[in-house]
Amino acid sequence: MTRHEILDELKKVIAPYTTNKEMLAGIDDQTDLIRDLKINSANLVDIIIDAEAKYDIEIDYDVADKMMIVGSCIDVISEKVNEK
Amino acid sequence: MISTGNDIVSLNAINITRTNDPKFYSKILSTPESKLYNKQVTATIPFENFVWLLWSIKESAYKYLQRLTPDLLFTPVKFEVIQFQTPNAYQPIGFDANQLTGVGFEGLSAFKAVITFGADTLYACSIIYNELICTIVHTNEDFSNTHWGIKFIEDEEYSNQSSAVREFLIENLQKISGFDKVAFSKDQHNIPVIITGNSKTFPVSLSHHEHFIAYSFQYSSI
Repeated sequence: MTRHEILDELKKVIAPYTTNKEMLAGIDDQTDLIRDLKINSANLVDIIIDAEAKYDIEIDYDVADKMMIVGSCIDVISEKVNEK
Repeated sequence: MISTGNDIVSLNAINITRTNDPKFYSKILSTPESKLYNKQVTATIPFENFVWLLWSIKESAYKYLQRLTPDLLFTPVKFEVIQFQTPNAYQPIGFDANQLTGVGFEGLSAFKAVITFGADTLYACSIIYNELICTIVHTNEDFSNTHWGIKFIEDEEYSNQSSAVREFLIENLQKISGFDKVAFSKDQHNIPVIITGNSKTFPVSLSHHEHFIAYSFQYSSI
C-alpha cells in the first residue's frame, strides 16, 4: 500500500472520533489528532484498535505513542503491513 | 509553582464491551496492573470502570509530567500504577449536582493510587460517580491545597467545552484567590496557565469529556 492509500483509509478510521470533518478531509503528515482534529485522548486506543482491525496488524505499546500525528500513524501502519 | 494533572472520563461515553476486550485493555493496563483488580476492587467497581480509572490516573500523571518534559509522549502502559486503594464503604452514587467544587478529598470516598513513570513517583486521588471518573495527580500525598471542580454542560462540542472549562476555572479561581484580573493562556508547549494581574503565571490543569468538564490547581492563601 502506498502512503496515499493508507492516508485515505486512515481518514475512515478516524472519522467516527472527530466532528471536524472539514479538517479531516485535508489532513496531512503534520496533523495532530488531539490538537488539530480535536479528538478526545480517551478515543486514541479506539483508533489503534480500529486500525489494527482495518489492516489486520498488531500495534504494540512500544509504537502506540507514535499514533498521535498522522504522518507517524502512516509510518507505523506501513511498517506493520510490510512485515506481514 | 507546584502543579497538578487532572483528567475526567464520562462513563456514558465508554464502550463497555470493547473495554472488557483484552485487546483493548491490554493497551492501557500492564499485566501487574490487571492483578490489582483483586477481590476487594471487584466488589467495589466493575472491570470497565477499573480500566478507565487507571486510564484517568495515567492521563493525569502524563499531564503533570508533560510540564517538566514538554516532548513527553503518552503511552499508557509505560505509566505504572503500583499501589491502589479503594475507599472504605464505597457506595456508587449519581452526579446529581450541576457542578461540584472542593479542596482536597477529606470526607469524600476517594480512590487513592501511587503511579510511577521512570524515576518519577506521583500520587493520585480519584472520585467516581455513576456518570464519571475524575482524577487529580500530585507530587505528594497531601492534597489539602488542591482545588478542583467538576461541571455538567449540555454542549458536547469540543471547542465549546474548552471555553466552558476555562470560564468555570477562572470563576472559581477568582473566588478562592481574590485575584481581580486573570487571563487564560497556554505556554510555548501548549500547556495551560493562568496569568494573574501582576503577570505571574499560575499552572492549571483542565479536562473535558462528553458532557463533563473539570479543572484542578494548587493554591494556598498562606
